[in-house]
Parts: sequence; structure tokens; C-alpha cells
Amino acid sequence: MWEPYDVPRSEGTRIHRIGDALVCIAVEMTGAGDLLAAMPVYPEAGTQKKSLRKKADHAIALPPLEDGAWSRFFIGKAESYELSPGYPPLPACVSLKETFSLPPGATLDGWIFSRVEARVLVAGNELASFPLVKPYKTLYGTPDAGVVCRHDEAQFLASNEPMFDSLVTDPGLVAHPVRLKNASSEPVRVTELCIYGEQLSIFGVGTNMQSERLLFIFSSSGVRMSLDGQGPLPSGATVLAKPKVSGEERFIVRSFELFKAITRL
Amino acid sequence: MMGEEGAAIAEAAPVATEAASRLREFFPSTGPLGRLFTMDTAIIVVRVLITLVLSLVFVGLVVTILRKVSKKRMDARTGGLFVKVVQYLGLAFVAFAVLDAANVNLSALLGAAGIVGIAIGFAAQTSVSNFISGIFIVSEKTFTQGDVLSVDGTSGIVYSIDAFSIKLRTFDNQLIRIPNETLIKTKMANITRFPARRLNIDILVTYDSDIERTRDVLLEVAAKNQDVLRNPEPVFMVKEYGDNGIELFFGVWCASDEWFQGNNSMKIDIKKRLDAEGIQFAYPTVTVYSKKA
Repeated sequence: MWEPYDVPRSEGTRIHRIGDALVCIAVEMTGAGDLLAAMPVYPEAGTQKKSLRKKADHAIALPPLEDGAWSRFFIGKAESYELSPGYPPLPACVSLKETFSLPPGATLDGWIFSRVEARVLVAGNELASFPLVKPYKTLYGTPDAGVVCRHDEAQFLASNEPMFDSLVTDPGLVAHPVRLKNASSEPVRVTELCIYGEQLSIFGVGTNMQSERLLFIFSSSGVRMSLDGQGPLPSGATVLAKPKVSGEERFIVRSFELFKAITRL
Repeated sequence: MMGEEGAAIAEAAPVATEAASRLREFFPSTGPLGRLFTMDTAIIVVRVLITLVLSLVFVGLVVTILRKVSKKRMDARTGGLFVKVVQYLGLAFVAFAVLDAANVNLSALLGAAGIVGIAIGFAAQTSVSNFISGIFIVSEKTFTQGDVLSVDGTSGIVYSIDAFSIKLRTFDNQLIRIPNETLIKTKMANITRFPARRLNIDILVTYDSDIERTRDVLLEVAAKNQDVLRNPEPVFMVKEYGDNGIELFFGVWCASDEWFQGNNSMKIDIKKRLDAEGIQFAYPTVTVYSKKA
């Protein structure tokens, strides 16, 4: 799914199904070069049955290429485009379906999932990035000091293995191995976790995707996400997406923010 | 020791004399220009020029570095003001250095400057007040460039922050200058300071409406709207049994920079859904009872 494709010059609109979402790609040929048009289509409210999906792909009525729903890009004489997974531009706030309490000093390992976006690339340049479900936003934190995030919802799996096959079949989900640590002296109710995707990679593990291990430390001053070491990749893993911001860069920015907060400069 | 120095002076003397005689060729000592352009004057002019160029280069260098550093490390308002203060101090330094190079008696000048300063101080009271107000506003950190402010009934995006005033670009594209002193004195609201902002919607429905159903419909509309944040959750309140209908309050949260879009989409969605559900908006009505004779 996450691979290069020929530009569909003579076959009308090509439809890629990723989970429940469709990413439609078409080409409009002009004299000087071609225009690539891309558009996401999200399912209507309610779930579709798998047997009906294929039928639905053919039955879908797409607007003409002139319609504003399409994003159009000049690609010149490029012969191929690529679909690649990527984290949303906003941090993802994953609400846990089942919340739980973490006692003081406790550490818990587990897995959570978040949803990636489908990026359309031509010659390595990102043309567009489409969420794979209708995107909603949420505020992580308080109204005066929170962060506006992409809303996501997932189950926390308190296990050593992600259990991909049994629970998660959506190809648009990336699994995050997480370690939760309560460094405060009070019990903490874990209701949501905020994931800053810009620091993370996406590794393809078979047909599934996985990120680096994340460490969430709950302290009296708040919650902090960091990479929990760079352990060995699972066997056969391939890198599908690299971090947009390096850890060092993030460290420098955070240090300066802290310095500004302390000195009130 | 003295003998060596004396020898050096004796060696240099003919060169200086030669330069002086050349100068006299251009400006004879008997003419007015000759009296003005003496060798001493020429040395002073050169010294002044060198001082001027070097001190301007130095101040320019310092200001350029500060501008770059402040752009990265400070918000636009603090940085701009800081650079401006350094620029003015630098220019004062240049002026003093040049006057010193020109052998002007600075103590007399400073004495005169004190008197002139008082006079200018009275004349430039407003400017000074604006400047000082600017410093207080900077220390309060209430806004920065790009924020949306509402000052005394005028709303707009902060376009530039200067030493004496700020400029707002209103939403109908006018440039409004607001003196810093006014900002200190009047009530100012920073609309985009926080990441999220609540959209307050007042709805008046008729007395025969099902309030619980209306609440559920409003919550459904908010849950389906992509401009509305999932957290904090929407607020519903029955405000009052009014003269013309039941007054309801519905508050939803939007990202501050999407509030305008959220306002429109929510109000359109609410109208559509309430119409579809047969829930009627109330309007001023008068009930007339006829009394049979």
C-alpha cells in the first residue's frame, strides 16, 4: 500500500483504499506538463460491511476535476507518485477508551495506537497529506495553557506484544510501545496521552506499522513525552517515515522555553 | 631615551612642514579659507571623519547582531523596543564621540543639554509617556505581533509594534495606530492569547419546545462539527423563562484561530437541525385574550 505507483494518465481516477478512507488520484494532462489531482473520501456515519466495500468503491460518485474538493498540483512529466504514511501536523491526543489509575511510583508498559495520514509524494516532495478519518480536534490541557491536538481514540493494551492481528486490523493505525511512569506522590488517572508525531519514525513491520518506544512521565508539574531509548528494530522492519524534528533540535527548543519561563525573558 | 625621541621628532618635522606648505598653496594664510583650513583643522576633520565612520560601523554592527538575536530569542514587541533603545543610545554615543574628536568642550555642552533636555521634555511629554508606557506594556507581556486585539471598540490583528505606538490591521483592512499610552489607560482584550476560545450561542425557543430534545440536538450538532473541539466539552444551560420564549445558552470550544469559521458553521448547522427537528425559534409575540361581554 505504501509504495510508488505509476501516474494514471490513461485510466481515469485511481482509488486507493486505506482502512475506511479512500484516496483518489487523477491526472489532468496539459501541454506543458501534467496536473495531479488528489482527494480523500471518508465513509458516511456508521460502519460499512466489508463485503460491500468493493462495490462501494465502484459506485462512488466523484466530483469533476475542476471542483474545489480536489487538490491539484503541477507535476510536470513525472512518471510516478508515492503514497507514504505520516503523522498529522498537529500532536495527536489519544483518548483512552478505558481509563485507569496509576499509583505513585508505578511504571506500566503497554501499547496504544494512533492514526496516520496518507501523504502523496512526487519525486520525494510532499504534495498533500490526508487524514484517514474525518479529522476532529481537541484541546489537551487547560484552556489557558493547553495544546490544540488532533482527536484520536484508542484502547490501552497493557501487554508486551501489540497483538496486531487479534485487535487491530486497520492499516491506517500505527502502534506505539509506551511506558507510563508516575513520578508524582499522588495517584494519576490516565485518560489521554498526547503524542508529538514530529519526533517519531514509522517502521513497517509486516503489514503493520510501529513507532519508537515512548516514555510518559507524570509528575506534579504535568506530563512529559520523550523517546524511551532507541532499542533494536523488530526483525524485518523497514523505515516508512523519518522524524521531522530531531531529538536534539527538540531538546534545544525545550531548554530555551524552560530558560525563558524561569527568567521570564 | 630622550635623545632618541628628539631624533624621531626632528626626522618627522620636515615631512609635516612640507604638508603644511602644500596646504598653504591651496589656501593662502591671508585668505578666509586659509585661516579656516589650517593643518590642525585638517587633522581634526580627519579625526572626526574616522571617529564617525568607526563609531557608526560599531553601532550598526551591534544593532544588527541584537536584531538577529532578538528575532530568535524575544517576541517581536520586546525585541523591537530593545533594539530601538540600543539604537538611540548608540546614536548618542556616536554624537558624543564625534564631538569629543572635534575637541568640543562636552562639559559645557552637557550643561546646556540639561536645560535643553528639560525644555524638550516638556514639549515631548506625550512621546515620552508613550515610550514609557511601551516599556510597561512590554513587561506585562499581554500581546505580541499577530495577536487579535480589541481596544476601545476597535478590533484587529497586531500589525507592528513600535516604540511609541502599535498598529492594528482591522478586518476590513484599515491600519489603525494606537498610542501606547492609550493601551495602558483603556481596557484591552487579547482575543487570541489562549489556544482555545468558547463560542457562546444564545438560543430562544418557543415554550412548546422539548428542552431535553433541544439539548440533545445541540450536543449532536456540536459532536459532528469539525470546527468544534471535543475537549473541553460543550456547555448547555437553560438561562431563563423569558417574555417571548425559553432562553437557552449553548457554549462550544473552538481553536482560537478557527473561532470565526466555527461561529458560522455552528450557527448554520444549528438552524438546519432545529428546523429539521421542528424546534421553533421564538420571536416577540403578544397574546391577546378577548373578554366576552
